[in-house]
Amino acid sequence: MKNLLSLLIVFTLIPLAGLAQDGSVEKARGGKFALTNAKIYTVTNGVIENGTIIINNGVIEAVGANVNIPSDAEVFDYNGREIYPGMIDSGTQLGLNEIGSIDEAQDYREFGNVTPQMQALTAVNPNSVAIPVTRVSGVTTALTLPSGGVLPGTAATINLFGYTPDQMFAGSKGVVMNFPSSARRRRQTQQQAEEARKRALETINETWDRAELYAKVQDSPDARYYPEMEALAEVVNGEMLLYIEVDAAKDILSAIEWVEDRGYEKVVFMGVSEGWRVAEELAESGIPVIAGPVLSTPTRGSDNYDAAYANPGVMQKAGVKVALRSSDTENSRNLPYNAGFAAAYGMGREEALKAITINAAEIMGVGDQLGSIEVGKKANLFVATGDPFQTSTDIVDVFIDGYLIPMTSRQLRLYDEFLNRTPGVQKNAERTDG
Amino acid sequence: MKKFNLLIVLMLSAVTMLQAQVPKGDVLIKNGTVLTVTNGTLENTDILVRDGKIDRIGKNLRTPNGVEEIDATGLFVMPGIIDAHSHIAGSAINEGTSQVTSEVSMEDVVDPFDISIYRALAGGVTSIHLMHGSANVIGGQNETLKLRYGFTNPDDLRFEGAPRTIKFALGENPTRGGRRRGIQPQSRMGVEAMLRNSFNEALEYQKKWEAYRADNSRRKVAPEYSLRMETLVDILEGEVLVHCHSYRADEIYMLMKVFQDFGIEKLTFQHANEAYKVAPELAAFGAGASVFSDWWAYKLEVYYSTAYNAAILTNNGVTTSINSDSGELIRHLFHEAAKTQKYGDLTDDEALALITLNPAKQLGIDNRVGSIEEGKDADIAIFDSHPLDIYAIPLMTFVDGVKYFDKATDEKDQRLYIDPESSIEVVQIFDRETQHRCMEGADLVDFFELFNN
Amino acid sequence: MKLHLRKSIFRLLALLPLLCISLGLSAQSDPSGESPATRTYAITNATIVQAAGDTLMNATIVFKNGLIRSLGTDVSIPGDAEVIDGTDMFVYPGFIDGMSYTGAVRPDSPERPDDLFTPDPPNDYAGITPEEQVTSQLSLEENSIEDLREIGFTVSHTVPYGRMLPGSGALLLLNHAEHPDEMLIQDNVSMYTQFVGAPGAYPGNTLGIMAKFRDLYRNATYSRQHAEMYASNPAGMERPTRDRVMEAFYPVVSNEKPIFYNASSSLEARRAIRLKNDLGFTLVLGNLEEGWGMIDELKSSDIKVFMSLELPDEPENADEDEEVTEEVRELEERRMEFYTKHVSQFGEMEKAGIKFGFSSIDANSRDIHDNLRTMIANGLSETAALNALTRDAAELLGISEITGSLSEGMIANAVVANGPIFDEDTQIRMVFADGDKFDYEIRERRSGGNGNGDATATSGIEGTWRYTIESPQGEQGGTMVIEKDGDDYTGTLTSDDGAPDQEMENLTFVNNSLSFDFSFDGGGQTITIVVVGTVTGTEYDAEASISAFNVSFPLTAYKEDPQ
Repeated sequence: MKNLLSLLIVFTLIPLAGLAQDGSVEKARGGKFALTNAKIYTVTNGVIENGTIIINNGVIEAVGANVNIPSDAEVFDYNGREIYPGMIDSGTQLGLNEIGSIDEAQDYREFGNVTPQMQALTAVNPNSVAIPVTRVSGVTTALTLPSGGVLPGTAATINLFGYTPDQMFAGSKGVVMNFPSSARRRRQTQQQAEEARKRALETINETWDRAELYAKVQDSPDARYYPEMEALAEVVNGEMLLYIEVDAAKDILSAIEWVEDRGYEKVVFMGVSEGWRVAEELAESGIPVIAGPVLSTPTRGSDNYDAAYANPGVMQKAGVKVALRSSDTENSRNLPYNAGFAAAYGMGREEALKAITINAAEIMGVGDQLGSIEVGKKANLFVATGDPFQTSTDIVDVFIDGYLIPMTSRQLRLYDEFLNRTPGVQKNAERTDG
Repeated sequence: MKKFNLLIVLMLSAVTMLQAQVPKGDVLIKNGTVLTVTNGTLENTDILVRDGKIDRIGKNLRTPNGVEEIDATGLFVMPGIIDAHSHIAGSAINEGTSQVTSEVSMEDVVDPFDISIYRALAGGVTSIHLMHGSANVIGGQNETLKLRYGFTNPDDLRFEGAPRTIKFALGENPTRGGRRRGIQPQSRMGVEAMLRNSFNEALEYQKKWEAYRADNSRRKVAPEYSLRMETLVDILEGEVLVHCHSYRADEIYMLMKVFQDFGIEKLTFQHANEAYKVAPELAAFGAGASVFSDWWAYKLEVYYSTAYNAAILTNNGVTTSINSDSGELIRHLFHEAAKTQKYGDLTDDEALALITLNPAKQLGIDNRVGSIEEGKDADIAIFDSHPLDIYAIPLMTFVDGVKYFDKATDEKDQRLYIDPESSIEVVQIFDRETQHRCMEGADLVDFFELFNN
Repeated sequence: MKLHLRKSIFRLLALLPLLCISLGLSAQSDPSGESPATRTYAITNATIVQAAGDTLMNATIVFKNGLIRSLGTDVSIPGDAEVIDGTDMFVYPGFIDGMSYTGAVRPDSPERPDDLFTPDPPNDYAGITPEEQVTSQLSLEENSIEDLREIGFTVSHTVPYGRMLPGSGALLLLNHAEHPDEMLIQDNVSMYTQFVGAPGAYPGNTLGIMAKFRDLYRNATYSRQHAEMYASNPAGMERPTRDRVMEAFYPVVSNEKPIFYNASSSLEARRAIRLKNDLGFTLVLGNLEEGWGMIDELKSSDIKVFMSLELPDEPENADEDEEVTEEVRELEERRMEFYTKHVSQFGEMEKAGIKFGFSSIDANSRDIHDNLRTMIANGLSETAALNALTRDAAELLGISEITGSLSEGMIANAVVANGPIFDEDTQIRMVFADGDKFDYEIRERRSGGNGNGDATATSGIEGTWRYTIESPQGEQGGTMVIEKDGDDYTGTLTSDDGAPDQEMENLTFVNNSLSFDFSFDGGGQTITIVVVGTVTGTEYDAEASISAFNVSFPLTAYKEDPQ
């Protein structure tokens, strides 16, 4: 029965919603699933033609060409379709931003310049309309980011299914820092820009000096309550990731210096629009990057028109570990297309796929749980009719944390309702037509 | 100058001598896969361009003497992409101080120096509809341009002979302006009233002038002249195509009713995120829709959008295009069109028509561009693979048979103007919002943009 | 010169301590003793450049009663003449400024009415006041008169401050006047126009300005017809409504009065030309900075041009032996390419045979001679440069019969220098304007570089500054008042459009770098604008940015009371 359904989905593109009865609601469901007869892109262990994946209790229990199918498993015969690890968007505001122009619908920005203790995870709305829209496109996981001041808060990696933030939490958090930027102020002399940047850097350094001191004294019973420093101390102690948003070439170099001076290990650079200019230095630093959006304009009027498309490939070839982000919220579903452009402009398809799967997971410190199709990892994966970077490819099924996700969203329901609207132009004529 | 395509430089000097006549090229594009849009896909086919026009399409065409030959074996040749909604190449976007500004025109503020023009060419775009912003109910007149990058006289970028068009706007943007200024309109009711008032005033104006013209007396006194009313009269006469910024189905429906009452027929809805809800009505009216591939949720009136909009409209027989409204998206409209294969399974020809023939129809220039047909302008883009393929890379772009972009010889720094007092390394970090100039300069607090969209 | 009309020297002396006022016919004596003993002057044994290329050596020139009485090698010197030994001196015709604000006082910007209806603001707020005359803005107290005169200018076509259509310009002599009327050669000579919108009201920017101009012009055409018909025979005809804006356009519509368009960029110039082509008025482009791309167009048209005397600073590229990347080197080259276009366009125009004058409206008078030398170094001949400053400017302004060259009967406008006028070491010793003599001390040259000399030194920033923000919506102006408070500064920002005053926060001034920010409520959201820039002398050049929106605009200011 389920196989038949899958085929129907493939051929009509009308998902289960189309089959749902009025008043009935489709829910995700867990269980023991056997995904058979599929071409499996494991990402970490090559491609398995005609392979099988067993999902049980939220994790991948088995994967391979010769896998025994447990008798109690629900079997999905995918008939040669392709299975990929769920795509990971390493930079969004999913769950935090519902409607762009309405302040009341936005929860990613808190008052203050230094607010690292602000938790994005807390404000994630599990029922955001954008979440189903995103996951039916194969994006199963997202880094959701606070924004604003120098240290706007703590970002969280979430899986795009769950009814509470904790059910969605994918096991990784990181403090976000906006590195002092030399960009944007167009008419400053270089000296002025340099001075302004230095001043901002001083602020950051003073804050981190305090954080390092606080980390030393925080266990003392007399230590004061200081939530901002508490959050930073976790970074200082090496327990927490530090995501540094940095874009202009010289800022990247100065951020590398800063990280090396401080001796922090768990650091990730985000944005890195001009990473291609300093790719060698980035590679040497060993700091991984989250680049994107790939679909963006060059940072300088004098740059080649395709500088942003080529940026991830240049860094990757230099030896930088690269993940990609859409930098979007409601259109995080465009992540595979960002990867596709990066692939076409130098990164190649295989590396681009890694950039939105295993690299992202490893950068966030959850490479043992996400980012590839391996035994023991969380069952985050999707089934596609072909190359997921192609717009002509349809996503057939999505599993998140082992749950079979209903392949519907408000956008799909609207499609179903309005493709052949009833009534058409004439309400009464339509009715007599029957 | 050394940075530019040598060919263009030569043309430029030739042009100066010929008194501001833009160059027309001759070229033979050999053995490509030709995506004609109107006549299917032609394998191993040649296109001969003479004097800027497509002269012949066929197999094994002979190369006339002195005509450059381009080997397109293994390459894909499509009509130049047309963006029906763009704000690149404009020095100003909104005259947002008044709710009706039909007298202003984007043709007065064309900025041929904008580097975005080159970037758009590098995405296969050959024509844009430079639109006024959406701050006013009746905004300014738009200007259809050909992307002849390298010419610094704005006149040289005009799409000669393109019909006049004008921008209208409904919904949140104009009502937000009204609320801020404490004037009408502050609701969708007020928007309709303002439209009807404007057209009725124009009818009165027209009557006065008709009486004046009919008066044979030598001592007749002219009524007050109003460029604003003149333009509205031209709209009523069908001489100006209306392109209306709109999102919600109700406001789209409202405008069709107003236009029906005033007998205005040429109408395209821009953005039209909820056009899918009234697709049958649009088809019955004969109105077009020029939409985003997938943008939504950036404001309340686009919350109930669907990326299947273009597919629903197309399947309901509405002339539909996909536009950019952005200096970023314009560089990959071919990819935006390709998304309709994910969202609604459009065929290749249907998807390509969204960025070629259909926008040409909406701008009234489909007799000149929008497909590869003999007799049409040689506005052509060449890709290394099928343009709807995610890995496709635009290789060359021709306007009037003249090559304005060639990836093989693309060099950095294509700027046409550099402020000698500028810092050489001006870094501007990409921000989607700044690409979106619809409400630029429209605010009451006038030295920044408060709004997006 | 109407000496007999001069009166009340006491009041004037109090106001103008620098000027020497001669005695009038009032019963007062001249207690200061500073009036000249005579207004007849003879400069002897000088090199007299009557016009470019037309030079008399060891000659004498006599000024009397404000006119050039005689000149030549065999000239009799009147008995009442003050004889000036002109050995080693060069005498040139006085320079003519084709378009400037010299002598005009910037009026307070019109206040934003409380009930401003933005689609249709009052004319004065919209900046549509073509019926105004610059004569009503003139003040003898304006430093700009002396600033321009001391570098050799004796005539200015002065235009009024304002927005889109500020009013009519006048031709002024930069003489010793007791009343601005005495400066007038002719008023009402031009209609001045610029691309400056009204803050937050129609027309707000170029879009509205272009349309509004067409609308006004066409209405004026009809209105003028009506007025003429009525004037010739009012019987039975609707009485025309008087409209001073329309009436101001009548002489423009009939091509009796030119439009002076302040168009600095090539795009602005082309927009002005569009209007001319659509409507058919007589166009003069003033303040043109970017003419290089349109030389053929200008040559084949009947448009007159006054080129801006403002030049961009020469880019400071890295030294040859300095290590920079290939990319930086290429970018520097491209920037230099455009600098070269700027500075060499004057020579190109000369080659093309275009007659042009100069306009100082956007130039700092202290830079003008340096800029002229830069133009000459980049291809403009000294002859053409001098012509543009004198004879050609006079011809373009239609006053070549009375000034622009040195010959008998012309107004006594002359520059006396201690060497060839465009030589780097030459200094101006005297300027005769309308026969009035102004002496200048030989000064130590300020050290050759830019901005190191006394003239540009910045002492303090306390005082009142007028600022202008260029936004997409047009220009917005106001004042910033900065006070010193111990080692710190405080300041207040006022806006011409009547918006509430703003405190200048975080005001810092270090090494000529002045920065501050201010915040206001933008519809429920607090918007902070950060301003960072450099103070040079009494000028402030800055960038105002709103980082939350990633937009920034240029902000420029000048000190109103440089003391």
